Amino acid sequence: MSSPIINTAGRALTPFILMYGAYVTLFGVLSPGGGFPGGMILASGIILIIVTHDTEEIKALASHTEWFDILGAFAFLLVGLSGIFVGGAYLTNLWPDNSFMLILLDIVVALKVFAGTTALFIFFFKLEVVKCSTD
Amino acid sequence: MKAVHKNILTLFLLLTIAVILLHGLDLEHEDKQESPLHMYYLETYEEAGSINLVESILLNYRAYDTFGEVMVLYVSIAGILILSEQKKGGEKD
Repeated sequence: MSSPIINTAGRALTPFILMYGAYVTLFGVLSPGGGFPGGMILASGIILIIVTHDTEEIKALASHTEWFDILGAFAFLLVGLSGIFVGGAYLTNLWPDNSFMLILLDIVVALKVFAGTTALFIFFFKLEVVKCSTD
Repeated sequence: MKAVHKNILTLFLLLTIAVILLHGLDLEHEDKQESPLHMYYLETYEEAGSINLVESILLNYRAYDTFGEVMVLYVSIAGILILSEQKKGGEKD
């Protein structure tokens, strides 16, 4: 599965895919895109690496993705709760009439989708990797 | 059940699915009255902070739904990863 040609091609392509995913996420406010598609594109970049490389790197990667997964979900919660501290209701716009709040939520959602999809893929693709990373 | 019955059945199934889908398209339904909510979205989505209408609805007008969506995504993935865990020493069959 991991012949040198595919490895180098995968490594060569991944930065551009990740950059495009970050672009789609961050520019979700202006152009079509946003949290969910951006997160998926980022995940596809990482999955390219997972497919082309053997299990040692993936083992290290697997444990981190689960943490990012948790981080992303509860970061959205925190951003929402911070709306209450500011004084408004849940999920109020922290910076009214500009798009920082949207970009922030975008990033959080993208992080969540990216980590979740990667963890899911690792689970289905390399079943034994996930086992040893959780116990 | 002979092969020909199966073919007829699958054909019938496909036709019903096609009818349902085409009904869903609902192309000829012109007199869709503009509900005030749609008009509100269309008029004020710029103040919501983004030029992208979908984004402003998703993250600003209906951010609470997106929060639910993120939580559903989280719980589903956490559930799958929990299912993959090993009981101590137990071999996964």
